[in-house]
Amino acid sequence: MSTSTLHPVATAYLQQVRREGRDLPGDRLAELLIDLEEHLSAAIPADASEADAREVLGRLGDPREIIEAERPELIVPAERRGPREWAAIFLLLFGFIAVGVGWVVGVVLLWGSRAWTTRDKLIGTLVLPGGLLPTGLLLLLALGRAHKEICTRYGTSVAHCTHGSSSGPSTLGSIALILLALTPIVTAAYLARRAR
Amino acid sequence: MVAKGKAPKRDAAISQLRRGVIEFCVLALLADEERYGFELVQKLAGEDALVTTEGTLYPLLGRLRREGTVETTWRESPAGPPRRYYRLTPAGRKSLAAFVDEWSRFRGSVDAILKIGDPQ
Repeated sequence: MSTSTLHPVATAYLQQVRREGRDLPGDRLAELLIDLEEHLSAAIPADASEADAREVLGRLGDPREIIEAERPELIVPAERRGPREWAAIFLLLFGFIAVGVGWVVGVVLLWGSRAWTTRDKLIGTLVLPGGLLPTGLLLLLALGRAHKEICTRYGTSVAHCTHGSSSGPSTLGSIALILLALTPIVTAAYLARRAR
Repeated sequence: MVAKGKAPKRDAAISQLRRGVIEFCVLALLADEERYGFELVQKLAGEDALVTTEGTLYPLLGRLRREGTVETTWRESPAGPPRRYYRLTPAGRKSLAAFVDEWSRFRGSVDAILKIGDPQ
């Protein structure tokens, strides 16, 4: 690039653009510099006063702003995983404890964050809605059944107990329960990993 | 800078609006003749509602080149470096025609709504 015919103020401006745009892909920055050089050499005669030259640069704008305009279609930097993202993950798992609305708050936080893609958000919401709530409920139910004993009290001392027909959770039931507990935990771990 | 409160949001919306239409203004300026970059920028900047900083038009021109709605040829200039002349491609012409159509519908609808809510 020949900057020999450029006004010194314009040369300094191009240097500044080059500095601001050093993280742009090389060809993009080079193209931009060619365009700006063409503009400057057309707008500022080599013998222009410094005030005139600065006025042209003022209209052209802050180099940083021009580089920003070149940038958006490149990468949209996603948000990093922060307290909000951890809160979302925690509430999705255990939120049901907080009067049942905690999970909903977790979902709102999940969808409000830019750390996850839409696919991640769908997984976080739909893979076992309620987090550990279904597991908790089933666990209570199973324990309730296991200890469903019919006791008859005689006076104050002896209690005669007969076991109910159900003899506790079956093996199949236990496996289902474990799977039910693992699913939201795995989902939460997945979300934690996916959030950048 | 802008005042705190709702102003930044409004300014952002206006600048989005501007950004959305300005590329079609570029295409429209090229509908009948070739122009070089500086000339395009001067024309657009002459309408002060359209352009805030002239320099941000160059990234736009670069994008239009990459998208293939405009094509360029280099020509010697009477003074200074060679100039890049822009002209519309068939794809650009098509895109402009679609916008002109859509814009008149859009403008009509917005004007109608603004009239309903006219504060005067």
